[in-house]
Amino acid sequence: MKYVALLSVALATVAAGLLLGPASVPAGEFLRSPIVWQLRLPRVVLAYLVGGALGVTGVALQALVRNPLADPFLLGLSGGAGLGAVVAIALHLPGPWALPLAAFAGAVGAMVLVYRLGLIGGTGGAGGELDPRILLLGGVAVGAFAAAITTALVSLAEAAELRNAFLWLWGGFSAASWTTVLVMLVYAPLPLAVIAAAARPLDLLALGEEPAQYLGADVRRLKQLVYLAASLLTAAAVALSGVIGFVGLIVPHVCRMVWGRLHRTLIPTSFLTGGILLAAADTLARTAVAPRELPVGIVTALIGVPLFAFLLRRWTVS
Amino acid sequence: MRRWAHRTHLAGLLACIATACGTGHRAPPSGGITVTDDAGRTITLARPARRIVSLLPSFTELLFAMGAGDRLVGRTAWCDYPPAALSVSNVGDGMPPNIEAVAARGPDLVVLYRSAQNAPAAAQLERLGIPVVVLDLNQLTDLGHAARILGRLTDRKQSADSLARVMDSAAAQPPAPSTHSLVFIVWDNPPIIIGAGSYLDRLAALAGARNVFHDIGSPSAQVSIETIAARDPDFVAVLSDSATLPSFAARPEWRVVRAVRHGRFLLLPGRLFGRPSPRVARAVRELRNRLNGEGGAP
Amino acid sequence: MDRELIVAIRDLTCRYADAPRDALREVSLDIHAGEFHAVLGPNGSGKTTLVRAALGLLRPVAGRAEILGRVASEWSRRDLARVVGVVPQREDNAFPQRVRETVLLGRYPHLSLFGSVRETDRAAVERALVACDVRDLSDRWLWTLSGGEYQRVRLARALAQEPRLLVLDEPTTSLDLRHEMELFELVRELVDTRRLGALMITHHVNLAARFADEVLILADGRAAARGAPAEALTRDTVERVFSWPVAIEPFDGRPQMIPLRQRKDAP
Repeated sequence: MKYVALLSVALATVAAGLLLGPASVPAGEFLRSPIVWQLRLPRVVLAYLVGGALGVTGVALQALVRNPLADPFLLGLSGGAGLGAVVAIALHLPGPWALPLAAFAGAVGAMVLVYRLGLIGGTGGAGGELDPRILLLGGVAVGAFAAAITTALVSLAEAAELRNAFLWLWGGFSAASWTTVLVMLVYAPLPLAVIAAAARPLDLLALGEEPAQYLGADVRRLKQLVYLAASLLTAAAVALSGVIGFVGLIVPHVCRMVWGRLHRTLIPTSFLTGGILLAAADTLARTAVAPRELPVGIVTALIGVPLFAFLLRRWTVS
Repeated sequence: MRRWAHRTHLAGLLACIATACGTGHRAPPSGGITVTDDAGRTITLARPARRIVSLLPSFTELLFAMGAGDRLVGRTAWCDYPPAALSVSNVGDGMPPNIEAVAARGPDLVVLYRSAQNAPAAAQLERLGIPVVVLDLNQLTDLGHAARILGRLTDRKQSADSLARVMDSAAAQPPAPSTHSLVFIVWDNPPIIIGAGSYLDRLAALAGARNVFHDIGSPSAQVSIETIAARDPDFVAVLSDSATLPSFAARPEWRVVRAVRHGRFLLLPGRLFGRPSPRVARAVRELRNRLNGEGGAP
Repeated sequence: MDRELIVAIRDLTCRYADAPRDALREVSLDIHAGEFHAVLGPNGSGKTTLVRAALGLLRPVAGRAEILGRVASEWSRRDLARVVGVVPQREDNAFPQRVRETVLLGRYPHLSLFGSVRETDRAAVERALVACDVRDLSDRWLWTLSGGEYQRVRLARALAQEPRLLVLDEPTTSLDLRHEMELFELVRELVDTRRLGALMITHHVNLAARFADEVLILADGRAAARGAPAEALTRDTVERVFSWPVAIEPFDGRPQMIPLRQRKDAP
């Protein structure tokens, strides 16, 4: 059964993440090694959670904007996060959590801005209604705007530290610890539950907003809740691990090819698949060029593209 | 008044451009100085440079050390050693150089650090007819070489050469027997460390410290925290001008590294350690003192 | 025979935001179970507005629209979807789907938030597929269907909702003669055998006259005529509303409209 296969692969990637790494841990010390339990395990778990969040967000957004090319980072959140991070560094904000908090604040700021823009184009009813096409356009615009301000700040202020902020933005799980895992475990369930509850209405939304309404979906509230949940998940993902593209775009397509379109199955399988992809990518990033480490975003693309091409060929032939 | 200054400035620039258009392919005058810089360019001066703008703190220090400090008419905002340098006009932070500010000082020589970012600046200054000498300064061995070239351009050959000999011998010292190990951390997220390709690695060896990432050939590289933890350095060295520990010291994932757990940090001031400096001997001493726990001046 | 009143619209007046004129003025309409109503009128006469207001998507400026005795805009979308099955004019399916899956979407108003699809749901889908004569197509992909087949599938989806009222917005545009007739026959049959109410917006005056129990002719947002086809479709009314000379000839007890040619030297 496909589900059994998925779960086995999931467990296998966890094992690989624990066993493999640039540091060699002798078998005898394995159970006591802080490298395994304080670094590798939280890192694998965080990669799972972030990958899962990105996968689910990709599914939700592609349904919301009715566009198979939608990706969580089209909403302008990465631009906002980058700006927040750069501001935090430029102002020398104190504390070890200043960077992720500022990035999160920046991402949420971008979300609010895009949301307001999205209301402008909406049609009648009491107050505005979100127009998903405007959401996309607004996201691209806000992201570009934030990126421009960020670049300006970097070029005007003390160069070296701020340029290093961009390294962070390229994504990675170096900052994984049980603390960050806990944050994600506490934070993620609510937006995930919102999206899960929207599974059936999202099926209907594929027919168009008007038909979906006639089939019983409260389209106006659906758009608001799904957009907010998706943005909040993405904001957390960016704050904790930078911008890791490709996962949110490809995982929904892979899962649709294997499991079909219904969101009831698509959402949990995308969560697992996204987690597997990112955890495997992180393990590879750590071990492929040891002792050096690759940025995770490169590895996800290197794994994801061939996988996608393979599945595309197999499933379009049938 | 301001309009006058602008007009004069503009006239000056136009004059420079006019001369530049004519300076294309003249044969070097006899008695002039000709050197080849690190970018393979040929610099020809009719007479020793008298109005120099230095765009790197180490070049400023070198010029002062060889007795040509009085010829400086421009320096970057970062050039703060020796103290006499502070009285020279500041032409900005130099990365990338502010061409107008540099040209406004009317220099007959600009000393520029070789990097991809500075390449357009070199071309622009050339178009204005201002001689530019582009020099590497990435390794300790570059110091002596730079001193020699600057010595010829300023006709301070003798003092420059003896300065170069001192710095070369300091750089050529055999590594001291290593008493401690360390890791240089440039950035924490993602972790970027210094490898054998950087002068810091050489500095550490001279001071008797083994860089745990000496096996990585490039100047810097991204690694995982677990690699750092597994190699278990005695110290974590960071470039920092403050006395407080870097923010990542408090993060839970870094505490797997023993040196972080025990707070064994080396906070190395940027002025002395940020770039190969003529005071290399002092930098080595400073580092050695700190490694042996004798503290050091911040 | 006492037929249940499904839709009650009284003196409904609607205006869109920032519009200079009312889209609907004082329109009334009653739809009982087992009645097939057709709404006719030129473009922009307010037909779609009427449907939107009847289904609570548009708040009226004056008058009221009620479904099963409750004000239309007070119905939750979910509850309303269990009573009214709509086949809108346009559908833009973003992702590929099979016939059976798309008809199953009609059961969603009956499914609980996290509950699964039950036997009753599958049975309802089956009945809907059979009633619309698309059961043989149930495993086909939607994009492989002809226009007529696709329309019947959409009707099956609306039927799977097990509604009391069917609303169809210009369901036969771009269908050929056979598929057009089949659709009208199908709606008539559903109304007769299942005691559903039907409200159809259509441009096809003659078919509306043949099949509908009552027609409502709108012009500029007002009701130009309302009643049984024989009464409502008079030559005067049609000529006035559609701005074209016609002749009205009876066929099968129903008036049929024949547009006249304008050119004087026409044979």
